Amino acid sequence: MLSHNVIKELTNIVGKDNIQTSKEDLICYSYDATNQKFLPDAVVFPKNVSEISLILKMANSEGFPVVPRGAGSGFSGGSLPVEGGVIVSLERMNKILKIDADNLIAIVEPGAVTGELQWEVEDLGLFYPPDPSSLKFCTIGGNVAECAGGPSAVKYGVTKDYVLGLEVVLPTGEVINTGTQTIKGVVGYDLTKLMVGSEGTLGIVTKIILKLLPLPEATKTMLAVFSDMRDAAAAVSRIISLKIIPSALEFMDKESISCVEEYSSIGLPADVEALLLIEVDGAKELIEKQAESVKKICLDSRAREVRIAGDKKEAKKLWQIRRAISPSLAKLKPNKINEDIVVPRNKIPEAIIGIREIAKKYSLTNANFGHAGDGNIHVNIMIDKTDRGEVARAEEGVKEIFKLVIDLGGTISGEHGIGIFKMSYIGMELSKPAIDVMKKIKQVLDPKGILNPGKIFPE
Amino acid sequence: MKTLKQLSQEINKCVLCGTCRSVCPTFGVVQREPASARGKVALCDAYLNKEIGISEGFIKHMNECVQCMACYAACPNDVNVPDIILAARAEIAKEKGMPFVKSFILENILDSERLMPAAMKFASRLQGLLFKGVPEESGLHRRFPLPLIDERRLVPPLAERFFMDVVADSSAFSTAPTGHPTKGWVGQTTRPRVGFFAGCLINYMLPNIGEASLKVLEKAGASVVVPLDQLCCGMPALGMGDVETAKVLALKNLEAFEKYELDYITTACATCSDGLKRRFKELLSYEGEDVQRRVDKFSSKVRDITELLVNDFGFRISDFGFYKSQISNLKSQIVTYHDPCHLRRGQGIADEPRELIEMSGAKLKEMSHPCRCCGLGGSFNITNYDFSMEINRSKAEDIKNTGADIVATACPGCMIQIKDGLHQLGADTKVVHVVELLADNIDSR
Ligand SMILES: Cc1cc2nc3c(=O)[nH]c(=O)nc-3n(C[C@H](O)[C@H](O)[C@H](O)COP(=O)(O)OP(=O)(O)OC[C@H]3O[C@@H](n4cnc5c(N)ncnc54)[C@H](O)[C@@H]3O)c2cc1C
Ligand code: SF4
Ligand code: SF4
Repeated sequence: MLSHNVIKELTNIVGKDNIQTSKEDLICYSYDATNQKFLPDAVVFPKNVSEISLILKMANSEGFPVVPRGAGSGFSGGSLPVEGGVIVSLERMNKILKIDADNLIAIVEPGAVTGELQWEVEDLGLFYPPDPSSLKFCTIGGNVAECAGGPSAVKYGVTKDYVLGLEVVLPTGEVINTGTQTIKGVVGYDLTKLMVGSEGTLGIVTKIILKLLPLPEATKTMLAVFSDMRDAAAAVSRIISLKIIPSALEFMDKESISCVEEYSSIGLPADVEALLLIEVDGAKELIEKQAESVKKICLDSRAREVRIAGDKKEAKKLWQIRRAISPSLAKLKPNKINEDIVVPRNKIPEAIIGIREIAKKYSLTNANFGHAGDGNIHVNIMIDKTDRGEVARAEEGVKEIFKLVIDLGGTISGEHGIGIFKMSYIGMELSKPAIDVMKKIKQVLDPKGILNPGKIFPE
Repeated sequence: MKTLKQLSQEINKCVLCGTCRSVCPTFGVVQREPASARGKVALCDAYLNKEIGISEGFIKHMNECVQCMACYAACPNDVNVPDIILAARAEIAKEKGMPFVKSFILENILDSERLMPAAMKFASRLQGLLFKGVPEESGLHRRFPLPLIDERRLVPPLAERFFMDVVADSSAFSTAPTGHPTKGWVGQTTRPRVGFFAGCLINYMLPNIGEASLKVLEKAGASVVVPLDQLCCGMPALGMGDVETAKVLALKNLEAFEKYELDYITTACATCSDGLKRRFKELLSYEGEDVQRRVDKFSSKVRDITELLVNDFGFRISDFGFYKSQISNLKSQIVTYHDPCHLRRGQGIADEPRELIEMSGAKLKEMSHPCRCCGLGGSFNITNYDFSMEINRSKAEDIKNTGADIVATACPGCMIQIKDGLHQLGADTKVVHVVELLADNIDSR
C-alpha cells in the first residue's frame, strides 16, 4: 500500500490526469500475455524523462517498487507487479522522434509500437528488421527490455543488433546516455548491451537510437513439403552452407500443421512430417536465382514439393499458415506451455526427436514450430490446467527438455526472457559465479531493489 | 440475449495476449489499457468475479466501445468482445435502471449546453414516431434514449418529408389487401417479393437513400412492399443496454413484415441489416418456440440491399438496357469505398458493394484502411462526440488522401459521420450511398 503522501507526490509529478488508483484501472494494469494477474497500487503515465527520474528518486526514498510497462504483451511476466507498487506505463511516450535517412538511424520513445515504426521507415525506403509476431502491438521499449526477435533474425539478427544507444533512467533516478548515434563507438564499457535484455530491472529506457537498413528491393516466399523431418533439417543446413541466408526460414512439425485449417485448404498431403517456409530478399534478379537454388536444394533433400509464391497475395497465404499455428493449438488442449528454446541450427532434428521422446515419456501433447534458421524452436506443451496430474507431468517434462537443450549447447530462452516464469531454471544454464556477477550488477545499480523486484533471479 | 454471466466462457477464452490493442479504435484514441478490448474483457471478468461492482469506472469503460467488431476479427482466440460489452451494458442498465443511463446521457449533453432547439424538436418528434404502436403502459416511451445531436455536428437537416410519408403519399402505391400501402405489387405477382425496411436515419434524415433503393430494387425486377407500421430496428436501444426496448421493437417489426408473404426483407442500412439478421434472433431467443420459429423465418429472409442485388438477383445494371457505361455520368469520377463495420465484419459483405460501384461506371480507388471504423458507434457519438470524431479523423484523412471525388458506403450512419469528419477536415469529397450511384445512372438513361 502506498501512503497518502506518496500518492499526492506522484500526482504532483505527473499531474492528476496521469495517475490512476481506482480498482478498475489497477486491474487493467495487473496482467500481461502470460494471463497472470498481480494488482499494482497505482499506475502512472509520465510524459518525459524528468518525470520518470523524479518517480524513481521518490521510490528510493519512500521504498516502493516500480515496474516499467510497455504494451503488456510479454510472455514471461516481466511487467507484472509481483510485489505491488507503481506501474510506470510508457503508453504516453510513444513518439517516433526522428528518422534520419542520411545516417540510417531512428530515434524513438519507448512506447512507440514496433510495427508503426516499421511502416513509417518503409515509406521512406528504409527497413527496421526485428519482427516479433507481436509487432502490431508490442512497444520498442518492451522489445529492448526483452531483446525481442522474429523470423528475420536468421539473416538480420534481433533487437540488440539494432540498438545503437539509449537514454536510461537508472533505478536511483540518475539519467544516463549509453552508446552513440554512430555505428562505431568504443568509449567505456558497453552499457547499451547491458541494458538490452535486462527485462526492466536495471533502468527505465526513455529514448532509443536504432540502426536502420535500406529496404530490400523484393522478397520471394516459398513452402517446401517434407515426409521426413530429417530431410527438412538437412535442407536447412545445405541452404545455409551454400551461403544463401534467407530472410526467414521457418519450420513446422506435423502436430502444428494439423491444427491449421488453411492447411487442408491448400491441399497438402496428409502424411506430411515437416514444412519449411523460406523467404529470400534482396535485389530482384538475385532473389530469382536464390529462390531457384533453394528450390533445388529442397528437392535434392527429398522435398516432395516446393511452392514458390507468385505474388504478394500468395506469399501472405503461405505466411498465414505459419502465423495461424500458435493460436490454433488451443484446439488440442485449452492451456499452453510455450517455451522458446534455442539449439545450434544443426542440432534441430536431435532436439525435436528428443523433445518428442520426452513428451511421450510423460504422456504430453506436444507441437513444435519456429525459426529453423536460427535454431529457435517454440516448444508447445498443450495441457488442461484443471488436470493436476498433467500439470505436474508437464513441469517434469519441461525440466527434462531444458536439460536436453543445454546438453545440445543451446539456451532455455531465445526471445521471451526469464521474468517470473523461468526463474527456477536459470541455474540450469548459468553457473553460480555468472549469476553472482549479474546480481552484483543489479545491486550496484539498484541498491534498494526498487526496480521491478522479484524477477529473473530466484530468491 | 445472453447475459454477462452466460458469456463467462467467452470471457475465459481471452488469454490477455493484447492482439486487439492494435485494432481497437477507442484504444487508438485514449492510448490506455482500459479503453482497449483486452482491458474491457478483463474488467468484465473482474466484475463476474465480484472484484468490482457496477462502478462509475466500469460504466465509463463499458461505454468506450463503438461496437466495430475489429477486435473480434483480429482475436486469435475468437473472443466476441463486442457482445461481452453489450451484455455488460445490459447489466448496467438492469442494475442501475434505464433512467440512470438516460441521465448519464442527459448529463453529458444537456448540461454542456450543446443542445439545439432544433435537435430537441427532432428528438421529441422522433421519439413520438418511433414508438407509434408501442404500448403506452410499457413506459418505453419515456425510457428511450434521446437521439440528441451535438451542435457542432454537421447533420443532414431533418428531411422535409420523412421517407415513410413519401411512401404513404406516393401515387405509385396502391393499397394491398391488408390495408397497408405497397408499391408495385397487389396480390399475385411472379416477381420476387421484397419487404423494405427503412430504419430511422433513412426515414428521418436521408429519405433519398430510401427512394433510390426502391428505384433500384424495382429495376432489378423486385416487387417491393414498405410496411408503414415498421419501427426503429432497436439497435440504438440495445447499444445502450436497453434490452427490453430492443425486444419490443423486434417483435413489433416482426409483426409488421409477417403480414406479407415475402421472399426477402432488405434494408440499405448496414446496422439495421446486421440487427435484423442476427440480433432479432438473440433478442427473442427466450420468448418461446413459436416466436423462435417466426423470427427464424424472418431472419432467414433478411439481406442487405447490396448482397440482395448482387447475389440473389444477379443484378447487372447493363442488363436492363437503360444504361451503357459510355453514358454513365460517373464515368470520369473516382469513387472510394468505406466498409461499414456491421456490413464487413458483421455480415462478411465486402465484394458486393464494390461490384455495384464498378457497375455504376465509376472507377473504384481503395483508401488505405477501408474497414477502419468511422467512429459513429450507435449512441457512442452522442455520448462521446469529441471522442467519436477523433476516431473519425484518420478515416477522413484516408478518404482525402485517395483524392477521390466521391466516397461511397452502404450505411446512412457512416455517411453522416463521414460527412461531418470531412467537413471538419475541410475536404469536399461527396458522400453517397452505393445505391444512389446506381439510381443516378438509372436517371441518366
Ligand atoms: C501473440 C504474441 C506473439 C509474440 N511473439 C514474439 C516473438 O515472435 N518474438 C519475441 O521476441 N517476443 C514475442 N512476444 C513477446 C512480447 O511481445 C515481447 O517480449 C515484447 O518485446 C514485449 O513488449 P511490450 O511492449 O509488450 O512489453 P511489456 O510486456 O509491457 O514488458 C516486457 C518487459 O519489458 C520491460 N519494459 C517495458 N518497457 C520498458 C522500458 N521503457 N524500459 C525498461 N523496461 C521496459 C517490462 O518491465 C517487462 O519486464 C509475443 C507476444 C505475444 C502476445
Ligand atoms: S485478442 Fe482476443 S485473446 Fe487476445 S487479448 Fe484481445 S480478446 Fe483477449
Ligand atoms: S468492438 Fe471495436 S471499439 Fe469495441 S472493444 Fe472491440 S475493437 Fe474496441
